[in-house]
Order: sequence, then C-alpha cells, then structure tokens
Amino acid sequence: MSKPLRIALTKGRLEKDTVGLLESLGFDCTEVHEKGRKLILNIPDANLEVVLAKAADVITYVDRGVCDMGVVGKDTIMEMPGKFFEIVNLGFGKCKFALAAKKGVDFYEGFGVKTIATKYPNVARSYFETKNMDVEIVKIEGSVELAPLLDLSDGIVDIVETGTTLKENGLEVKEDIAPIAARLIVNTVSMKMRQQEIEALVEKIEKKISE
Amino acid sequence: MKNYDLITPEGTNDLLFKECVMRKNVERTISEQFYSRGYSEIITPGLEFFDVFNLRSRHFPQEDLYKLVDRKGRLLVLRPESTMPIARVVATRLKEATLPLRLCYNQCAYNVSTQMRGRSDQVVQAGIELIGSSEKIADLEVIETAAAVLDKCSPGNFSLEIGDIGFFNELMNQLDVDDNMKETIRNFIETKNYPALNDILDNIGKNNVTKALKMLPRLFGGEEVFEKASKLFSDENTDAVLLKLKELFHEVEKLGCKGKITVDLGMVNKNDYYTGVILKGYIEGYGEPVLSGGRYDKLIAEFGYDVPATGFAVNVDAVTKVKLKNEKIAARSVEAIVFAEKGYEMKAILTAKQMREEGRTVEMAAFSDLEKVKKYAADVKIEKIIVVNENVTEL
Repeated sequence: MSKPLRIALTKGRLEKDTVGLLESLGFDCTEVHEKGRKLILNIPDANLEVVLAKAADVITYVDRGVCDMGVVGKDTIMEMPGKFFEIVNLGFGKCKFALAAKKGVDFYEGFGVKTIATKYPNVARSYFETKNMDVEIVKIEGSVELAPLLDLSDGIVDIVETGTTLKENGLEVKEDIAPIAARLIVNTVSMKMRQQEIEALVEKIEKKISE
Repeated sequence: MKNYDLITPEGTNDLLFKECVMRKNVERTISEQFYSRGYSEIITPGLEFFDVFNLRSRHFPQEDLYKLVDRKGRLLVLRPESTMPIARVVATRLKEATLPLRLCYNQCAYNVSTQMRGRSDQVVQAGIELIGSSEKIADLEVIETAAAVLDKCSPGNFSLEIGDIGFFNELMNQLDVDDNMKETIRNFIETKNYPALNDILDNIGKNNVTKALKMLPRLFGGEEVFEKASKLFSDENTDAVLLKLKELFHEVEKLGCKGKITVDLGMVNKNDYYTGVILKGYIEGYGEPVLSGGRYDKLIAEFGYDVPATGFAVNVDAVTKVKLKNEKIAARSVEAIVFAEKGYEMKAILTAKQMREEGRTVEMAAFSDLEKVKKYAADVKIEKIIVVNENVTEL
C-alpha cells in the first residue's frame, strides 16, 4: 500500500465529529479512540494517518504540506488564512461570528471611536474595514464577554453558538458577521500529487454528509 | 536599547557550507538548461520604483512589498519578482532588438511573508522569458524547458501542470455580474472552495455558465479533463482553448513526460498577468509549487511596447531544501595541506601552486608548528600533509 495520507484534526469536538464521520464510512478508528498520549495515530483500513493538533496548527501543517489534509473550523481559517484548498463544508461544528454589545445599547451611536475586544483580531479588523470604520481592537485571550462589562470595550467580536453566555452577562448579538462550520482543507501540492486517493475519500465524505 | 547586531532579520538566513554549495549547484544546473536553449542572462537591480509593480494588470498588495524611500522621497521596493522588471527592460533598452528575445535570470525576490510560518522573505528565483512570439511552438518550448528543469531538480519525481486562463475568462465574460462578484468567484475557484462556490453560483441562477463554473475547480487531473470540460461547456472560444491545450498536453507527454504532466483548468490565480497557457511545477517533498509561469501577452504593452511573451520561474531555495534532504554532498573537499618549515615559505607556496595547476585542491597550512597542522588536518578531515623543507615530503 502507498504511504498513508496524513490528516490533521483539530483536537476536541471537531476531532470527535470527524472520527464519527470516518466510522460512519466504515473505517476502524480504534487506535484514535485508544490514543493515550500519542499524537500520531493510524486508521489502517482508510490508509490514513491522523495527527491531533490545535486549530491554528492544523492550518500551519496543511499550509506547509507536512499534512496532506486537515479538519478545522471556518473561524480559524478566517483568522489566519493560508494557501490551501478548502474543499468540503463538513457541516458540523456549526456556530457564527457575531458582533455583540450591552443589551439595549445602540452600538453605532455617536461619533466616538469604538473599541472592540476579541480573540480574533484579523476577523474583527476586516469586518470593520468592510464598513469603512476605524475601530480600536484589543486582543483578549480568555472570556471576551468580560471586556464590555469592565468597560474596556464597546463591543466584542466572538463566536456565538447558543448565545447563553451573552445573555447571562447582559449582552446581545447586534450583527451576524459570518456563519462557521468545520472544513476539510487540502494542501495544494497533495491535491495534485495524490489526487486519486484524496478524491476517493472526499467523494465518500461528500456523499455521507449529503445524506 | 536592544542591539540586533548578531542576528539576521526575520525571514532571512545565512547559508553555510553544504547549504551554500547545494544552492550554487542547483543554480548552475538550472542555468545550464537555460543557456543550452539559447537564453541570455540578465541582472536587474534589487531596488526598483514602486510604480513598476503597480500596473493595471497586476497590482502587488502594498503589505507584501519591502519599501524604501529614495533621496527625492520617491517610493522604492525590493523587487518582489523578476518578470515585471524584465518587461520594463524589454520595453525600453531592448525595444529595437531582434525578436524573439530569450532572456533568463537567477536573482533574489523579496516578499513580506506571513510571520512565523517558517517561510523566507528572500528567495532566489531562476527563470526564463521568451519574448516576441505568440506561436504555439513558443508555449511548447517553455513547457518543455520547465519539464527538463524539474527533471534535473527532482529526477523522475515531479509533476508539471498546465492550464489556460482563457477557459475561465471566456466563462466569466458570459456571466452578468459586477467586478466584485467576479473576484469573489475567482477566489473560490482558486482555493477550490467547492461549497462556497456552489452557494454563490446558485444565487446567481442556474444556466450552463454557472454549471460549468461550479465544476471548474474540479477539472484537474489527466487527459480525461479535456473531455469533461468540453461536455460541460462548448463554444467557439473555449473549444479553441481546449484544443490547443490538449495538443500541448499530448506533445509534452511524447517528450518523455508521460504520467508527469497534468491539467488544471481551475488555475486562476490572483493578480495574474497571464493571458493564455499557464503552468505550475511540483516536486515530491515540498508543500508548495516550486515552479510557476505562463503566457502574458498584454503585460509588456503596459510599459509601452506591445509584444507577446511567456516564461516561468523556479524557486531555487525550495529545490535546494529538498535536495539537501535527499542527497549527500561534501561542503568542501581539500586533498592536501602544505606545511612550510621555517625559511621554506616561498617554496611551499610554489609547490601548492604547481599542484593546483594539476587540478588538485590544496590548502596552505597557516601554522609554524607541524603538530598543530596534524591536529587541524585531522579536525577538518584533510588526509595528506605535505611538508616542505629542502625536500617535499608527503606524510
């Protein structure tokens, strides 16, 4: 058999959903379930080698070609674009990017410069660029919802799933920015050098998710 | 204040010994392919006016350029590639030259790359430009040269991909949408973003143009692509594009590239000045194309000289990296070291000179003590020590 295709999975929920998808295609993912502390695992009957990584690293690995494919959220792709093919919307890991601010407050009121707190400075920057607005962006690593409550910012740009956290902290969605779901991405060279194997797998996946 | 006197700027490297030897080897190998086909080398300055790279057909994003300001306050850039400067030279100093012109180059290109991805901002590119012919034989010559270069860089283990921007352009001409929408569609085709492309085209409406555009990013692979494409969309212009590309495909196949040549009709890169056949080359072990090029018949006209052209560039540093991983080379091989005893220095130098004239690599010992010479020779792996006094003795 040829060298396995290497696929990087975003650790956590996307990893579980992807493994579930691969199992529904009939592949034996035992080694991934019983991984222990190993970071590279095999799915022999699919001729796949699974690499578990943080979302941003999935992009780096596929961009640089050390992994042929990757599963990563659209949120990470929007924050750190790279050179790769984005060929399947896997449909799981659904949520959205949204602009949120304190409930009942008009975010756009007045002429003062707005401050935005976010974990996704590039997404926030390009969103307000499309509105021709210069905003101040503050990068926050943890709970972004705190920033408007502490009066550090006027609003936040963040991932919203159910909106419960926002609600419990007196915030609300003002505008949706973009829908998010997991994507299957492919290195540009792998797509060409290993076209048949990749297309065969993609075809199975596309068929499964359209069911 | 922090001093940066001991490191190089991010995205740049010092190349030592093996890395340096290998890069020079790769440069020589590629250049020989060019010279033997009648290409003449030219060198353009590292610094150019920003305006050279700010034309209508190809705009380089400001954020990707290294910029400086000259004495008069004019904006300069470190050249991000070599085709535009060569187009400038052709349209000025070579305007009266006999066509076709065959020019080649081997020089650095500078681009601000995404930080922390392990890419270099300074890359050596070697390439050719064949200027003044729009004949098919010119396209074939360039593709054949590209295949020969790839085969030298990665013997038997490469893939050369051809496409033609004409197919995409013709489809887009028949699509009634504004330029922003066209750019969005182009981007989704380039990144083979099948789901987003489907959504956007479904919104525009169902017709044979949108149906063909939807399939465009999937139209890559071997010979079967031509049939799929012609079934998908057929008019006078696209048929002509496909026919020419198919002929080129078969001709290159016959030139010893069977199984190495592929087609991708979905190659529609941003900021491209390409107007016809385009090509990309891949080698095993590198995650990005190492070769790219194509026909650019309208570019030189923007510098005031309307002449067709085609060419390609190879990323020499990428090839060097792959070769360093796969091949063993010696950084240097010195056959002997010549040690002069006190008073015999001139004789030793003449002895070494005599040996070099015989084609041998000989180093002079920069010590006055034979024990130190022995230790040094052992350290740097020089096998022979030649001692010069009244006699010349090999130890």
